Amino acid sequence: MDQLITEPKTLSNDEIFGVLNQFITEVIGEEFVDEMDITPDSSFTKDLEMDSIEIVAFSEKVKIYFGENINFTGWLSNMDLDEIISLKLSDIINYIRLCQ
Amino acid sequence: MGKFVFIVPPLTGHINPTLSVGAELLDRGHQVGWISLDENLGAQLPEGGQLLLIRYDQNDQEKSNSEQYLDIITKKIVYGIESIKFLYEEVLVPLNRHMFDGIVTQLDLFEPDVVINDHQLFAGATAAYLKGIPYATSVTAPAAVKMMEDLPKIHEWEINQIIALQKELGLEDEKSVACSELLTMVFTSQDFFGAMELPGYYHFPGPVIGHRKKTAAFDWEKFNASNAPKILVSIGTTFDHAYKSDFFGKVIEAFGGENIQVVLVSDPDLFTEWPANFIVQSRVPQLDLLPHVHGVICHAGHNTVSEALYQGLPLVVIPIAYDQSHVAGRVVATGCGVRLNYRRFKARHLKEAVQEILSEPDYKASAEQIGTSFREAGGTAKAAELLESLVLHKAEVTLNR
Repeated sequence: MDQLITEPKTLSNDEIFGVLNQFITEVIGEEFVDEMDITPDSSFTKDLEMDSIEIVAFSEKVKIYFGENINFTGWLSNMDLDEIISLKLSDIINYIRLCQ
Repeated sequence: MGKFVFIVPPLTGHINPTLSVGAELLDRGHQVGWISLDENLGAQLPEGGQLLLIRYDQNDQEKSNSEQYLDIITKKIVYGIESIKFLYEEVLVPLNRHMFDGIVTQLDLFEPDVVINDHQLFAGATAAYLKGIPYATSVTAPAAVKMMEDLPKIHEWEINQIIALQKELGLEDEKSVACSELLTMVFTSQDFFGAMELPGYYHFPGPVIGHRKKTAAFDWEKFNASNAPKILVSIGTTFDHAYKSDFFGKVIEAFGGENIQVVLVSDPDLFTEWPANFIVQSRVPQLDLLPHVHGVICHAGHNTVSEALYQGLPLVVIPIAYDQSHVAGRVVATGCGVRLNYRRFKARHLKEAVQEILSEPDYKASAEQIGTSFREAGGTAKAAELLESLVLHKAEVTLNR
């Protein structure tokens, strides 16, 4: 019998960025995102102006999406205050790349 | 009868609940004192309450500047997670360090049976602990407790700041004593707080809002003359004028000239002109006013949110800093209101959000449910009973040292 074998898909930086961008949109709302210039260099606190409850909501989405392969919540919950304040999208992209 | 002393920071939201519980204790025939840096607290105390003012030798340069600590929290524009760093490094740690010696002196003079420290006044807990006086803790910003779960490293960072100061003050233990293991009272209901595993010494007596002195005059005539829906707008007492003009500017844009009666808590001088449908006062009798409004717009400060929900009022919450993001999260999670992002919201979002909470009955129904959970939690009477139990069982109370 023919079987479609799906290899665990490895996402490129751009693809991961696209997914994260989508989650940010879901958390803060499309109309606000339209006015922002979100790049991998954007920081959650300073550039995206997300507060703690929004960062937690965002991380829930990342956890659900990438859940099987990466311990995202564990990684995030090990960050100290300064690390969370300076957290950028690229940090998350790099972490996900590392885990893939 | 017992002798109780509250140790409070110069922060309205942290003082107000102690005024209610203190009044109840006084009614029950106990002696009650308040240790504070602020001499203006005296006028707010319930009949019979004693102000135990922290005073330092005026020649001592280090300690003569108590005044600068009174509004220390308003000194910097802060937002979001960064505000927690500011709160500890630039407000709480210096404030606690400054108050410690005065607290010790006042405890020696007053000789209380039970100390009640505010959870952010860990110097009060440290002093009681070092002296072996039983102490209870008053948690007026419960979201700080919740943060342990959501962002554990941030909580750990907070605890480390506390432990470092405790060591400086002579307490060598490697644990924070900020929250009493005899009795920690969280002034909300478990329904609003949300599910969380906590040790048995955490109690939830609900918000404590009874017994307050009426201090503010109000233009009831103008208020009652309006048949329009009424909303109260407040961003509390800790944010400065820059925040207020930004925030209230959008409120004016959203509701100026609309069929809605707005009561706004602000210095009226903030703007040269306010719309005719606004009543603007720097202080309002908030507890008297709430039963007569239909909704509340606020910064998700824990007290204002609790007072609104106590009356079953739906909310639009726009958190700015500190624990407010989490309080706002609970308002949304319990279905009691709508949350906007302080940095991003525009006048039209505010207008839509208010329309939504006033027209969609589910928000009101959820708020009434939380209000019921607050009343069932017991309030001031329950808090007073819990504190009395510490005196009654004082002999049995053994401290962990």
